[in-house]
Amino acid sequence: MSIRRSIFNTVIASAFALALSLDTSLAQGAKPVRIGFSIAKTGIFASAAPSQLNAYELWREQVNARGGLEIGKEKRPVEFVQYDDQSNPGQAAKIYEKLITQDKVDLLLAPWGTPTHIAVAPVLERLKFPMVGNTAASSKLRELKPGYIWFTTAAIPDRIGKELAAMLKENGVKSVALLTNVLPFSKEIKGFLEPALKSAAIAISVNEEYPPDVKDMTALLTKVKQANPDAVLALSYPSDSPLYVRQAKELGIGAKFQFVLIGPTIDFFPKLLGSAANGIVTVGEWSPARNARAKAFYDTYVAKFKEKPDYLDSSLSFMSCEILEQAVKTAGLDRSKLRTAIAQGRFETINGAVKFKGVENTVTKTGFLQIQDGEVQQVWPASVSTAKYRPKTSW
Amino acid sequence: MIDTLASGQLLFAALALGATYALVALGLNLVYGTMRLLNVAHGDLVMLGGYITYWAFALGGVSPLVSLLGTAVAAALLGVLAYRLLFRAMLGARGTGPRVEANSLLLFFGLSIVVQNLAALIFSPTPRGYEYLSDVLHFGNVALTGNRLAALLVAAALCLAVVLFLRWHTMGLAMRALMEHREAAAVVGVDIDRIQLASFAVGFGTAAVAGALVSMTEQVSPFMGFPFTVAAFVVIVMGGLGRLEGGMAAAFALGLLETYGVALTSTNWRSILLYGTFVALLLARPQGLFGRPAVMR
Repeated sequence: MSIRRSIFNTVIASAFALALSLDTSLAQGAKPVRIGFSIAKTGIFASAAPSQLNAYELWREQVNARGGLEIGKEKRPVEFVQYDDQSNPGQAAKIYEKLITQDKVDLLLAPWGTPTHIAVAPVLERLKFPMVGNTAASSKLRELKPGYIWFTTAAIPDRIGKELAAMLKENGVKSVALLTNVLPFSKEIKGFLEPALKSAAIAISVNEEYPPDVKDMTALLTKVKQANPDAVLALSYPSDSPLYVRQAKELGIGAKFQFVLIGPTIDFFPKLLGSAANGIVTVGEWSPARNARAKAFYDTYVAKFKEKPDYLDSSLSFMSCEILEQAVKTAGLDRSKLRTAIAQGRFETINGAVKFKGVENTVTKTGFLQIQDGEVQQVWPASVSTAKYRPKTSW
Repeated sequence: MIDTLASGQLLFAALALGATYALVALGLNLVYGTMRLLNVAHGDLVMLGGYITYWAFALGGVSPLVSLLGTAVAAALLGVLAYRLLFRAMLGARGTGPRVEANSLLLFFGLSIVVQNLAALIFSPTPRGYEYLSDVLHFGNVALTGNRLAALLVAAALCLAVVLFLRWHTMGLAMRALMEHREAAAVVGVDIDRIQLASFAVGFGTAAVAGALVSMTEQVSPFMGFPFTVAAFVVIVMGGLGRLEGGMAAAFALGLLETYGVALTSTNWRSILLYGTFVALLLARPQGLFGRPAVMR
């Protein structure tokens, strides 16, 4: 017992010593810049949020390795203040209020997900604190009052609907099967996609919805197989995207254009599905082949986390950090100046230039990615593509 | 439409679903049947089984069908620990009664949250997956991937093995006795403590095996367990709490309902059909399909 106790005491003492030494090492340099955010560590978004948090951590590490965040002429180390919002948007709103009023953080980064961004926006507005958003996508974001929140994404449902119909038409698709998970993002895309397909004269031969807790798609996919459309558009989520691919392979669905909404660019997807993932088209506007910054981001991310970044969420999150960094460099920490700098500036990111109009990034183009021989390539639109689209000829 | 319904494809899908439901529900039913403990952390054992299998495959290249035994043993040991450290005292002090059910519900709920968050801390919440036996096999006009077929066969075999064990093995018979009538079992000399321990071990072990089988076709993540807990509860309540064969029959009935019901209506009706039937059945037969009406003791 006494030995155990003394081991325990030693552990506690060394933990304290370590904490003290960390503290003094920080105190020796410039005063850290404290950046606050809430993150979904638990709850329904928890499996999606690491792609965002990893990007933040990578950015912090790189900034600190460069000597700190440049504020005017001074460089200050970056320190995070983060809380678990339990995937609860209401909780996130309270956390941002606490971050601003009690923790008195210097800057903010965004939480994960559309409902969370929408819940946090009024707090930013009321307390006049600017924040660059990232992992949110809905045409409803445009209804938010511009001024304190901006979104790096181009994957907004109305733009996705229009571009997808255009891509299908260009590739000679005459008929599609449309399978929609009844969650908000996919339903919203469906709402914009249907009229876009109609005006592109593309027939919807199967149009079915399914619940998020679907466990088997055999009956649904048998209908698709019988209809034999040129394309299958699965407006799916990470939990059911692999189910679609697995069962489409099992039934031998022959459509050459296979679109799967969310999942294909997450690290586990090709690992789980192997060659069946090849040729799948998905939504996305970034790839490591975009520019030198993008390649460097991808390589350092893979080296640090031993997995690939999420092509949408990780890149969007990293872009929001880059934008914040560049805005702070010119405007400093004064919130009003920072707000103007973000709203009016033009930023260089891992996805090329970004400029905002209202809350929206109007430079980045809405596009699509395709898994080709295990690599993710941008195949639409042509102006930013890194490879040509290839029809999916086998599972 | 008739072609679809008559094809073996839907039947295979229904059996594959049913077998998973049956195996997941089996352990829950066993623990409830012998001790009246409501294990709402049951789905988290499925998750742990999935992770053990994933890591064995990812780090050691061990085939899931080989690591299955180790997974089962590891989970069974966890069951032994949980019983010894957490539940024995509770059961010993107050026997079985409504209070044990309520307390166990809370205790397991707490455990579930702890296990999920520990898993998120240790494994990270990022989903993981590996490819195994994913080639499509054809039997007549039925196409199926090897991993689904393997999962179906292993799950069905394990369910059958447990049924036979309960029918023919002395310990199995003692478990049944405990489920039928606890006090009478004690009177005729059944070692209740030992049987309860064994039920925990078998219950936890089979759940982890279910997780191992699920991981061959689906991604694993720390929060994947809860839907399995819900499915298992639906199955065992429908089959009659503590009625093992009843639970298995209910599991396959649900598998059939889910695939054929959806084929006849629309995929969007899946949850309405399943839970609607569940509620309707409970109204008509509160004791479940195979349960007997409660008697005064």
